[in-house]
Amino acid sequence: MLTITKYTIKEMIKKRAFLLIAILTVGYLFIYGYGLSLAFHNNNQVINNTPNIAKILLESQLLSAGLYFSNFIIAFLIVLTSVGAVSGDVESGAIYALLYKPLKRHEYVLGKFIGLSIIITVYSTLLFLSVIGLNIAFGTKVYLGLGNVFRALFFFDLGPVVLLSLVVASSSIMSTVNTGVLAVMTYGIAMIGGILEQMGSFFTDATSQGLSNVGIITSLILPTDVIFRKMNAELLTQNTGLSFLAQGPFGGTSQPSPAMFVYIAFYICFLLYYGTRKFEKRDL
Amino acid sequence: MILETQNLTKQFNGKGGFKDVNISIDSGMVFGFLGPNGAGKSTFVKTMVGLLYPTSGFAWINGFPIGTIESKRKIGFLPENFKYYDWMTGKELMKFHAELYKIKNSDKKIEKFLDLVKLKGHENKKVKNYSKGMQQRIGLAIALLNDPEVIFLDEPTSALDPVGRIDVREIIKRLKDDGKTVFLNSHLLSEIEMICDEVAIINHGHVIAEGKLKNLLSKNTYVEMVISDYNSELIEKISKLAYDVAFKDGKLTFKVKDKDSIPEIAKIVVDSGAKLYQLDSKTSSLEDLFINIVGKDEDVC
Repeated sequence: MLTITKYTIKEMIKKRAFLLIAILTVGYLFIYGYGLSLAFHNNNQVINNTPNIAKILLESQLLSAGLYFSNFIIAFLIVLTSVGAVSGDVESGAIYALLYKPLKRHEYVLGKFIGLSIIITVYSTLLFLSVIGLNIAFGTKVYLGLGNVFRALFFFDLGPVVLLSLVVASSSIMSTVNTGVLAVMTYGIAMIGGILEQMGSFFTDATSQGLSNVGIITSLILPTDVIFRKMNAELLTQNTGLSFLAQGPFGGTSQPSPAMFVYIAFYICFLLYYGTRKFEKRDL
Repeated sequence: MILETQNLTKQFNGKGGFKDVNISIDSGMVFGFLGPNGAGKSTFVKTMVGLLYPTSGFAWINGFPIGTIESKRKIGFLPENFKYYDWMTGKELMKFHAELYKIKNSDKKIEKFLDLVKLKGHENKKVKNYSKGMQQRIGLAIALLNDPEVIFLDEPTSALDPVGRIDVREIIKRLKDDGKTVFLNSHLLSEIEMICDEVAIINHGHVIAEGKLKNLLSKNTYVEMVISDYNSELIEKISKLAYDVAFKDGKLTFKVKDKDSIPEIAKIVVDSGAKLYQLDSKTSSLEDLFINIVGKDEDVC
């Protein structure tokens, strides 16, 4: 399994896609940083006269937006680099030379998952810290305690791992194209579900409950959105006491319950178990 | 027996694949598996190496049921539709496969096999820059990396030029000399004829002939006689010992299943009072045998 993990990491690094991702990420951060510098150091009279609390609110939204789109980039990176993790080898025939060897099929699938998880987590961590770093560098007034940042980082990295477990499990069962369609559509459903759930807080009647239920159901299908909102809350709420900073289009008014995180742990384990079981029984 | 199957069957929704295959192969043997396209040859090999699960029946390699880690430890396999991670160099690819076998200090072994398949000097090139023939060569080197007892080669020369084919033949002979068992799937009948000890012919998923190549070929000895002053009684007597008896262009032609019956037939001709001017016998080639057996099977189907 370790050999598969090692060579999965090597493959990602050696392929030109990795270099392209690095260059485009620098481009993304540059544009984001440029936006922050304009927003934070604006000499406009109206903004200068705005109370600090409003400035903090604006800056927290810029921080959340940076993290939201970073999360989005990571999700698409996962889809583009991992949909063929297993199915690509099956379709090309490369799998024949691997699985006649004394290598258990579940070791192969888990080796791929762990290798991709490491790469994605490293990338996700770097992107998260870069966004936070840019905000601090440009003098954000939002309080970012070290504990908040690390807790938020955990949740920021957890989301991609959850999506990756779905992609790898699907890639072990279905074709590359079908896995890609499933991953993109499921991610989209989770995203819209999360937005609808947050919109529910604007209503007080049955509409609110209905929208909230939509969010819960989509979180059960793919809990990436709910994890992101938890990350945002961890980053912006806990120590400041200003819980409304975590609200807005990229944040969340309602927080996932502890049961949801038990479900998330189960979700990852179940998908990997199901994917490997199906792959073990599959004719190649 | 190093390889044995009992009613081994693999079908896809009741179709295709192969059915009730019973094969026993001694160690140190080069076994040829022949059949037309779609006969079930590659499906059989993929089942033996654990890539496909049998529908029914049993099979063992080295005493271990197929598909188990124990049976996989001592096999090598060169797939027909070979494809390797082409972002690696040849040497990295070998190293990767050596690590999958947990071979320690594999460098010397890698050098040895790169040399054997004549890829020395190309080991630092990326596999994607290899020709098809070179990829097949490195596939063969990978198949031998773990010092296997049984090596399954599925069309091992399909991408090779004539020189490459001779090289592979030499490697197979060397493996046999080292006591290894080679299971060879090939369309190239002349190749099989040159190196195989035993063969099985498969058609429509059924083994329709199996045995030592020498015996199978001698079963189809073609005889031509130039005789005169013969009578119908003589033809009747010959027909009892031979088949496909015909009189064409002044020549009596027939086939015998056993070469030893040729002198017996010659004696009958002479004793009958007929004059025997010429006798030629020709053992059929594997191609003749293949066409004959598969052709008859097609007629039955």
